[in-house]
Amino acid sequence: MHNTRNQPSARRFLSWFNPIGRQTGSWAFILNRITALGLTLYLFLHLIILGRLAQGPHAYDSFLLLTENPFIKLGELAVVAAAILHGLNGIRIVLTSFGVGVTRQKQLFYGFMAIAAVTILFFATRMYMG
Amino acid sequence: MSQTTSSTYGSSPRPGETTWLWLIKIVTGPLLLVLLILHLTVNHYLGSSSSGLMTYDDIIRYFQNPIIPAIEILFLITVVTHSLIGLRGIVLDMNPSRRVLSAVTWLLSLLGVASVIYGIWLALTIASIGA
Repeated sequence: MHNTRNQPSARRFLSWFNPIGRQTGSWAFILNRITALGLTLYLFLHLIILGRLAQGPHAYDSFLLLTENPFIKLGELAVVAAAILHGLNGIRIVLTSFGVGVTRQKQLFYGFMAIAAVTILFFATRMYMG
Repeated sequence: MSQTTSSTYGSSPRPGETTWLWLIKIVTGPLLLVLLILHLTVNHYLGSSSSGLMTYDDIIRYFQNPIIPAIEILFLITVVTHSLIGLRGIVLDMNPSRRVLSAVTWLLSLLGVASVIYGIWLALTIASIGA
């Protein structure tokens, strides 16, 4: 068992996406990894796009018009949601890493995810109705 | 075994991740939350429109205060470091061979340094436009 686990394998990565027989900790782990990948992708896109600032007002302002597009807004909301989920789940990891709430991880996770849900709803309302 | 340990006692360096890298990831996390809230607040609540810094002119003006490029550069270094150490952790989940891991580490370090140099150049360019 131990040997199998230590074999180089992309299957372990793909197994994150298998929803069968998961426990809460496992969902928290998957959520953290998937949001991490999304946020990393966004970070580099963000840096590349901000490069337009060096090309002058037209290059930047014309690009920003895209943010009015509802699909782009949905993408922005996804980034905000990923950051909130990753950040709050991350606080739980930091707390437990330093020995706080170790025996209450599940409650911590549910509590932070409830805060995340409310915060995401707040941002969604602001973005679409504000 | 290691999974049981980490789920019972919180996160710990995974096999192949040094304590230093793990510690940097754990410390930059909360710092990022603070910097991100700051970044989003100023970007979306300052500026000429109610949506915040939404035009080129807004951003050029905003970068005239030297503390702004300084904070943005600190944010950039922190977020790039955190995300690339995290990405390396994800690669570790796939149990790469020593050679692959070493290549990945080099590649990510290179990407990190290049991103930070690019970001600093960009922040200083924006600051110098309005000077």
